[in-house]
Amino acid sequence: MQVTGMLHGARLLRHVEFPTAEVLGPEATESEIQALIDRCGSVFVKPVFKGGVGKKGKAGLVGRAKDLKTALAEKERLYFAEHRHGNAHAKAHGVTFEGAVPAEHEVYLSITDSTVYRAPTMVITHMGGTAIEELDKELVAEVPFEALTGLKAFVVANALSDIGAPREIVSPLVQHLPKLWELVHHYGMTTLELNPIRMRPGRDGRLTPVACDFKCGFDRDDPRWHRLGMPEHLFAADYSDFEREINQLRTYQGQSDVFVINDAGTILAPTFGGGANSLVTEVLGDDAIISSDFGGNPPYEKMRDVASICFKHFLKQTNVLFIIGGKSNNTDIYETLRGMADALRDYFSKHGPTPLFVVIGRGGPNLVRGMGAFSDTLDSLGLPYRMFGFDSAISEVVNYAQQVDGWMKVGGRQQIAKSLGLDSAA
Amino acid sequence: MYRQGIEDFPYYVGVKSLADIARKGDRVCVLNILGGESRQVTPVSHIFSGGNVVFGTSPGRRGQVVKTVAGDIPVYNNVREGLNDGHKFNTGVVYLPPAGVRDGVAELVRVNPDLEKIIIITEKVAIHDAREIRAIGQANGIDIFGANCLGVADSWNRVRLGGALGGDHPEESLLKGSVAIYSNSGNFTTTIAQYLGIAGWGTTTLISSGKDVYIHYGAKEFAYALARDDRSKAAVMYVEPGGYYERDLDLTKPTVVCVVGRWKAKLTRAVGHAGAMAGSGDGAEAKEEWFKEKFGVNSLYTPDDPVCSERGAVVTNISHIPDALTAVMKMSGIGPDFESSGSLSLKAWVGNGQQLELPPEIDLKIVEAPAPYNEQIAALSRQIGATIPRQTMKDLSGASRMDPSTQITSVHGFSVLELSQKPLEANFALPLVHEIAGENDRALLDVAVAAEVNLVGDPVLAAAEAAREAGNAPNSVMAAAASIVGPGRVERALKASRALIDLFAHSGLLDPRDENFDLSMIEVDADTRALFLADPDDHDPRPEDMLAAVRNRGGKSVFLKLIEGFEGRLSRDGILAAIAMTIAWGPLMRKKISRLTAETLPWYLRLYGVMIGASIPARHHQHNSLCGIPRKERFEKWTMADLAFLAMTGKKPTAEQALPMQMLIGLLVSNGPGAISAQGAKGAVAADGPQTPGRVQINKCMVGFLTHSGYSHGGNGFEGMDFLLERFQSEDLKDPTDPDHGIDLRAMALEYARIYKKEKLEAKELGAGGPRALPGVHHPVFKGKPVNFDPRERFLAEYMEKRGDYNIFHKFYCEFVQALYDVGATRYVFCVNVDAIIASLLLAVLWTDFKSGELTKRDLETAAFTVFLYGRMIGAAAEIDDHLNRGKNMDTRTPAPDCGFVT
Repeated sequence: MQVTGMLHGARLLRHVEFPTAEVLGPEATESEIQALIDRCGSVFVKPVFKGGVGKKGKAGLVGRAKDLKTALAEKERLYFAEHRHGNAHAKAHGVTFEGAVPAEHEVYLSITDSTVYRAPTMVITHMGGTAIEELDKELVAEVPFEALTGLKAFVVANALSDIGAPREIVSPLVQHLPKLWELVHHYGMTTLELNPIRMRPGRDGRLTPVACDFKCGFDRDDPRWHRLGMPEHLFAADYSDFEREINQLRTYQGQSDVFVINDAGTILAPTFGGGANSLVTEVLGDDAIISSDFGGNPPYEKMRDVASICFKHFLKQTNVLFIIGGKSNNTDIYETLRGMADALRDYFSKHGPTPLFVVIGRGGPNLVRGMGAFSDTLDSLGLPYRMFGFDSAISEVVNYAQQVDGWMKVGGRQQIAKSLGLDSAA
Repeated sequence: MYRQGIEDFPYYVGVKSLADIARKGDRVCVLNILGGESRQVTPVSHIFSGGNVVFGTSPGRRGQVVKTVAGDIPVYNNVREGLNDGHKFNTGVVYLPPAGVRDGVAELVRVNPDLEKIIIITEKVAIHDAREIRAIGQANGIDIFGANCLGVADSWNRVRLGGALGGDHPEESLLKGSVAIYSNSGNFTTTIAQYLGIAGWGTTTLISSGKDVYIHYGAKEFAYALARDDRSKAAVMYVEPGGYYERDLDLTKPTVVCVVGRWKAKLTRAVGHAGAMAGSGDGAEAKEEWFKEKFGVNSLYTPDDPVCSERGAVVTNISHIPDALTAVMKMSGIGPDFESSGSLSLKAWVGNGQQLELPPEIDLKIVEAPAPYNEQIAALSRQIGATIPRQTMKDLSGASRMDPSTQITSVHGFSVLELSQKPLEANFALPLVHEIAGENDRALLDVAVAAEVNLVGDPVLAAAEAAREAGNAPNSVMAAAASIVGPGRVERALKASRALIDLFAHSGLLDPRDENFDLSMIEVDADTRALFLADPDDHDPRPEDMLAAVRNRGGKSVFLKLIEGFEGRLSRDGILAAIAMTIAWGPLMRKKISRLTAETLPWYLRLYGVMIGASIPARHHQHNSLCGIPRKERFEKWTMADLAFLAMTGKKPTAEQALPMQMLIGLLVSNGPGAISAQGAKGAVAADGPQTPGRVQINKCMVGFLTHSGYSHGGNGFEGMDFLLERFQSEDLKDPTDPDHGIDLRAMALEYARIYKKEKLEAKELGAGGPRALPGVHHPVFKGKPVNFDPRERFLAEYMEKRGDYNIFHKFYCEFVQALYDVGATRYVFCVNVDAIIASLLLAVLWTDFKSGELTKRDLETAAFTVFLYGRMIGAAAEIDDHLNRGKNMDTRTPAPDCGFVT
C-alpha cells in the first residue's frame, strides 16, 4: 500500500505540521492556478499516480509552467500519462500543480526499517533531488535510531555534521525532521521518502525545509493508518475483485493471503504455510492461478468461505484443484479439508459439475480423517483424485500436479467431462 | 541503547550456543494460554518437554487450568499474579493477538527480573510494534525469537518452546542427530527435519525464525551459536527473499542453504511472509549469490548437477536438501547419523480414477502408508457406500430440484420430462439408486414389485377395502394399506440385505449381473442361510414363479445365483432382498449411495407393490390371479405400466395405451421438495428422527406423503378432465386419438370462450370474485408474452407429434387458449399448461370405457388421483430416502417465533 505525490502527501505531512509546497489538485480552477503562479513564480505540473511509482522512468513526466497557458497545456499532456518500469505499469488520473520553491539547498530524506540495523533508519543527504545511489558514500548519512526514543534532534544534528552539511540547513532540519518520525511511527507507515526537501529562505534569512515530493508505504497489518482518513479508493487499485473478497475474511485466525498470479491459469492451488506457498508458486509458475497461504489453522467456516470464493472466481477454468502444504503444525487437516470439500459440493450444487482432477498433499493432525471426508465428496461427485501424505516430497507432489494439468490439457479434461455427463469440457 | 550481552555483537545477544536455545531447565510462561492455537499446542509442548510450562495468563480466567497428562498448568489473570504465587520462569511465549503483543512483551520484561527469552508466535504484528519490541528487548537484555514463528526446539534435550514445531507428535520428527535447522518458514522447519530424518540425519536445535520485516533472532545470531554448539556438525537453513540478514554470515560449519522465492520479484504485495518482499539487492537471486560465494561454488546443487563444497551447498528445492547435505558432509568424511528409512518419492495413500483411462504416470498405484496411518486408511476403505454429512433439511432436498425458470423438476439429475419417456419400472429404483435402471434391472424390478401386488388373504387388503367402502379418497385407501407394512413385515428382507452386503462387501464384486463371479469364496453360515429360506409352514406359491420369471425374462443376478444354490425353498423376502441388492450394488460400491439406502430398498419395493395392489378393489384379488390375469403371465410378461393400467381399468393395456400411462406417471414423479406431498414425507421422517435411522418407519413416511395429498393437491387432475367432459359431452366422439374425428374444434373453442367472457364480465359487475378458474390454461410463471408456452407441455406435445400420436383433447386446449384471446376474454394468449396435457392423456386412455358406461365419472376422478399417486410415490420415496440419510431429528419444525396467531 503506497502513496506517491504531493496531492495526498501534502495532506499527510500537514498532520504533523511539516511544511510543504503549495499544492493544487486536478480540480483546481484557472484562477487558482493563476494565483499560485503569481505567488510562487512558476508551478510544477505532475501526473497523479495511484500506488507506488518510483523515480526511475519518470523523466519527461514533470512539467513546468510560468504562465497559465503553459500550465494548462501541461495539464492536458500529463493528465493520463503512463509510467512503465519493470513489471509495473501505472496510468495517471489527474495532475497536481505545485508551487515552485526557491532554494539553494535540496535535501534527501528517508525513514525506513533497515534489516541491516534491525531498527528504524534515517538516510539523509544535503545533495538531494538526485539519485542518491550515485552519490559518494561520504555525503550520505545512514543512521539507525532507537524506536522507543525516536528520531531525536541530536540524531539529526550528528548525522548532518558527519556528512559535512552546510551550517545553515542544520538548525531548521533539526527542528522539523523529528516530526516525520511521528508521522511514520504513529500512522502505520513502513517507509517515508521526501526528495527533495527544499530549504526556502524566509524574510529573516532563516531557512525552512519544504517538502516538494512525497512517497510513503503503509503497513497492511497496522490499523493506525486509518487515523489519516485517506479515501478508500487510494488503495483499491492494488486488489482484484477476487483478492478483495478474500480480504474481507481477513482475521487473525489463519492467514488467507492471496495474490492472483495468472487469471488464465489452470491449476488452482490453495496452499498452506508461507514456505509451501513459496515453493509451489515458484514451481507452478504461470500455470498457477493464485499464490496463496491459507494456513494458521483457520476454522471450518472460514476455510469453507475462502474456498467458496476461490471456486466462484476460478473453478470453471481449473484443470487441477491442488491442495498442498507441508506437515501442518497445528492446522486441523480434517477441518480444513472438510471445509473445502463442502465448498466444492456447494459449488457443484449451484453451478453443476465441472471437469476437475484433485491432488492433495498434506500432513498434520487428523490427516486421514480429512482425506476420508474429501474422498467421500469426490467419490459422490465422480471426480478422480490422488492424495499424498507427508512422506512424499512436497516438490514431487507439485511436479505430479503439473503432470496432471498437462494431461488435462491434451484430452483428460474431455474424458472427465464425458464421464460427468457434460456435453462439453469447457 | 542496548545492554551488552555477548561481546562480539554490537547489539544485545544473550544466547551463546545453540545448546542453550531450548534447555531442559527452561521454564515457560505462556501469554494467552487459553487462546485457540495455544490450547492445542501448549499441552503438546509441555508434555514433550517433560512439563516445563509453569503457568499461563488469560485475563479474567484466573483459577482455570490447562489439563495435560504431564500435569495441570495453572492460569492467572496476568504475569505478576503468577509470580506472586511463587512461580518462576525465564522464558515467555506470546500467543496474544497482534494488537496485544507489544504490551505482552513489555509486561514480561517489566515484571520478571529472571526473564531471558521471549518467543512470539503471533503473525501480523504491526511493524510499529516490532520496532518497539526490538528496542525493549535490546534495552533490557532479552533474547527474542519471532515474530510470526513456530518457536524453537531441541532434539537432544527433548524440549520444545513456543509453537508447534514437529506438529502434534514432535517425537516423530525431532530425532537426535547432528544437524541444526534455521528456517524462515515454521511449517518447513518440521518438514525439513522429517526429510532429513528419512535420509538418516537427525537434528540438534531447530529454530523457526519467522519472516517478518523484523526477525528478532537472525541468521547472524544463529551462525554464531552454531559455531559454539559441539553437538551440531552441520546446519540447514531455509531462507526467503527480503532483508539483509544473511549477508556476510560467519558460517564455520558445513551448511546447506535452501533459498526460495525468485518469483517474488514479480509481486507487489507480501503473501504470508511480510518481510519476504525484496526491494532490490536482497531478492532471492541476490541471496543465492551470497551463499554461493561463501561456499565457493558457482552454481546451485541439483540432483542432475550436484555442485557443492565441503563448506556447503545452495539449493532452491526443499527436497534436494537431504541429498545435498549428505554430499557436503561426505566431503569431510562424515556420514549420516543413522540408517536412512524410506524415501521422499511419491506415495499415493488414497486415490480413485473413477474408471477413467489414465496414463500410467498419472494413474499412480495406491501404496500403504506408514503406521499408524495405514490402519486409519484401512478403516476408511472398510466403510461401504457414501457418507453423507447431516444437516437441517427443512425445505431442502438433495433428491429433487425445480428449475425456477422452466418449472421443470428433476430427481437425482433426471428431469421428469426425461422420466416420462422411460419405461415405468426404470423409474422405480431411481429414488434410491440415483440411476435409471437398465434392461436387466428392469426385468428384476418388474418381478419384484409384481410379486407384492396381489393381496389376497392379507389383512392389508381388508383394511384397504374397508377404507374404500367408507368413501375414502384413493390416498387414504393406500395409506390404510401402507400403515400395516411396518418393520415386522420387512424385518427378514432387510436382514437378508444386510447379510448380502456383509458377505460381498470386500469380495471385489463390482458388477452384480456377472454370474461368472466366483462364489466359492463366499462362505455363508447356517444362520445367514436361514434368512433366505422359507419357513416350513410357508405355502406362498410366489417364490418359484418369481425365480422362473426372472430366468425367462433373461434377468441375471449373482445374488440370486448364490441363494438359489442354498438347499431348501427360498422365501419371497430372500428373493426380494437379492433383487434389491442387485440393483443397488453398483452405486453402493461406487459410493454414490449410502449403505443405509441399499439396505432399505426392499422396503420401498414392497410398499410400491402393496400400494398399487391396494388401489385395486378386493374382488379382483384372487388366488393365482389378479383381475383375472394369471400370476405366471403377470410375472413373466407384464410391466409396471401394464400393472398400473390394470389397476385403474381392470384391463391389460395395448401398447398404445401403455405409453400414455407411462408418460403420465413419469411426469408426476415430483414437483420439488416444496410440494405439500413432499413436505408430508419429509416431516414424517423428521418426526421419527433420521439420526437414528433404525427407528424411522419408512412405511409411515409413505403414509406421510399420502395424507399430504388430496383433492387440491394430486386429486385436482380430475378438474381438467371434468372440464373436457363438459365440452365434449354432446359430441359424438368415438376415438380421441383419431385425427379424423370430424369435430370443429375451433368452433367449439370459440363458443365456450364467448360464454366464458360473458361470465367474466358478469362476475366483475356483480363483484362476485371472478368466474370459475379454467383448469389447464395459464400459469403464474409462463405469462405476459403475446403468446405463452409451458415448456413441459411443449416438450410433450413435440414428443407426441414426432411419434404421430394425436389427442383431441389436447388439440382442443390449444384452440381454446387462442379462442379466448380472439374473443377478447384474455389480454394475451395463455399457455396450455402441463395439467391440461395430463388430463388430456388420461381422458383419452379412459374414454372408451367411460363412454360405454364401464367407468363412471367417479371412477375417472379416482383414476386421476390414482395416477398422481403412482407417480408421486416415486418422488416421495426419493425425498424419504434423502431426508433419512441427510436430515436431523425434527428439522422440519417451524420455530414458534415464526408462527403467528389469528383470531
